[in-house]
Amino acid sequence: MIHVERLYKRFGTVEAVRGVTFRADDGLVTGLLGPNGAGKTTALRMLSGLMRPDEGAIRVDGIDVVTDPLAAQTQMGLLPDSRGLYPRLTPREHIRYFGRLHGLNGSALEERATGLLVRLGLESVADRRVGGFSQGERTKVALARALVHQPRNVILDEPTNGLDVMSTRAMRSLIRSLRQDGCCVLFSSHIMQEVSALCDHIVVIAQGTVVADGTPDELRRRTGRSDLEDAFVALAGLETEVSL
Amino acid sequence: MNAFRGAVVNRLGLVLIVLKKELLDGGRDRRSILSLLFSAMIAPVLFGVMFTVIAERRRNADEIRLPVAGAEHAPMFVEWLRQQTGVEVVPAPADAEQAVRDRDHDVVMIIDKDFAQNMARAIPAKVVLVSDGTRESARPKVARVRSLVATYSSQTGALRLIARGIAPSIATALRIEDVEVSSLQQRLAMQLNILPLLLVIAALTGGLQIAIDSTAGERERGSLEPLLLNPIPREALAAGKWLAASLFGCGAVVFSMVLTVNVMRRVPWHDLGIRFRVSDAELMSLLALILPLAFLLSAIVMFASTFARSFKEAQSYLGMLMLVPMVPGIVSTLYPLSQRPWLAPVPIVGQYALAADVLGGQPPSIWSYAMAGASALAFALLLALTTARLLRRESIIFGR
Repeated sequence: MIHVERLYKRFGTVEAVRGVTFRADDGLVTGLLGPNGAGKTTALRMLSGLMRPDEGAIRVDGIDVVTDPLAAQTQMGLLPDSRGLYPRLTPREHIRYFGRLHGLNGSALEERATGLLVRLGLESVADRRVGGFSQGERTKVALARALVHQPRNVILDEPTNGLDVMSTRAMRSLIRSLRQDGCCVLFSSHIMQEVSALCDHIVVIAQGTVVADGTPDELRRRTGRSDLEDAFVALAGLETEVSL
Repeated sequence: MNAFRGAVVNRLGLVLIVLKKELLDGGRDRRSILSLLFSAMIAPVLFGVMFTVIAERRRNADEIRLPVAGAEHAPMFVEWLRQQTGVEVVPAPADAEQAVRDRDHDVVMIIDKDFAQNMARAIPAKVVLVSDGTRESARPKVARVRSLVATYSSQTGALRLIARGIAPSIATALRIEDVEVSSLQQRLAMQLNILPLLLVIAALTGGLQIAIDSTAGERERGSLEPLLLNPIPREALAAGKWLAASLFGCGAVVFSMVLTVNVMRRVPWHDLGIRFRVSDAELMSLLALILPLAFLLSAIVMFASTFARSFKEAQSYLGMLMLVPMVPGIVSTLYPLSQRPWLAPVPIVGQYALAADVLGGQPPSIWSYAMAGASALAFALLLALTTARLLRRESIIFGR
């Protein structure tokens, strides 16, 4: 369970995040929806414990991320904006390295690694160096190492960015299976189809603030639009900008 | 419960996990391995070439094949030349000057056809020495031939004076006595003063690649942010990376030293009649001095590279930084910093000062080693911890 309360972050004169508040519950998929530059990535970076908010509180399973980021990180699995891999290591070695950093070892780690490789369809390339991997394969490896410690809270920053149709489908089924396992899944996206296909709960962010928060149906009702994309455009205040 | 599993794993364990990963990654990096090997080869190759050249020249001067033209004009002189140790008289080429110009011979002696006649009349008889003054390597040989001729001349002159009832000493107004204060051994040891500099370069370049790759490289690839998402104290992370680079640096130094010792053993000192041998123990004690520097230099490189967003940017910073360990080294080859044990706690400079004592045959005390090593390691640790602090900066984690 993730609680974010009145989060503020300023870069110089730019207020990237202005009082963002939302919560993401266990067993649900929560979508952080917003146009480019809305502050999604900044919010997730603060959530990950790597960026300090100027104001506000973040709690993951009751642990304060700002005061104890390392303890909070044991509860989270993050696929961040940057997904750099080590080109000379294999997927299995990536998973092992991150697993060990989370305190796993021995046969438990090996089993977990093999399990993830199978689940993500990486068995055939498991022991090949990732240097020449496709974008889809790279994302899968990045995801595998984020999930190695079986986190209860999974946070994905634009997980389908740059993926082809098959990889996108695989990602969606993975997100659903994480929900089935009772995980709290939070992912950010600017793609409407994705959000409507997956989310139980949507948080719409625009210009650094939450402009709407609710189930897909609630959002449609509130804006009076039957199409979620129209609803999003209305909520994000994009119509006025375009007409300007 | 796995609630605080990350916290339970002790920090040392985390350091080792990071270290192992960086060694595995670095070991697969062709550039890391090549830079380690290359930096280790500098010293042995340089010494191998240098000492072989010195030995070769000395051998050349000792054993001369001397082409003599017109030997028939001076049978006694030529016979005398033959009797001198290491001199072999051979027939001269038709065109002496061309032969020297073409480097077929270092020196050719031409005996004047009037030699016997002039000798009989006690008129200075002419001996022509054809040589090329621009050829450095031929000089000892030419000098030897010249001194042979001078010796024969003065011996013959002395006999003539005696025959006339005059003491030969009367014809010698001055006598030069050379007092050479440096033995050949010492002069060769001078050449060795460059060894500490070469080892420091090995320590620096050996770990350079991996130090950059694990910091600036990590940022360039975009793998730093995912790495920092793991519950690992920044100190443990920086320490693991620092130790990996340091071990590569140490590897280069040890490898370089082993090769250098082997090269030194192969130089045929005894054949040359030179009693020169820096003992293996002396060479090995240089290791005790330079190895702690590998840790310091890696820490310096790592600290600087952490500011860089890419490999190239890091290299441009390091171009300047390379001078830091090299300048005192170059200065110390010109003005050895020997007998200044108080320099020991100054990192880098101290190592050069103590190394000069080792090579000068005045081994420093164990305390000097300990001081120099402890001070280098302390500075290194400080830098590694500062690097760990840098890894908390948002501009470094996210700045790409």
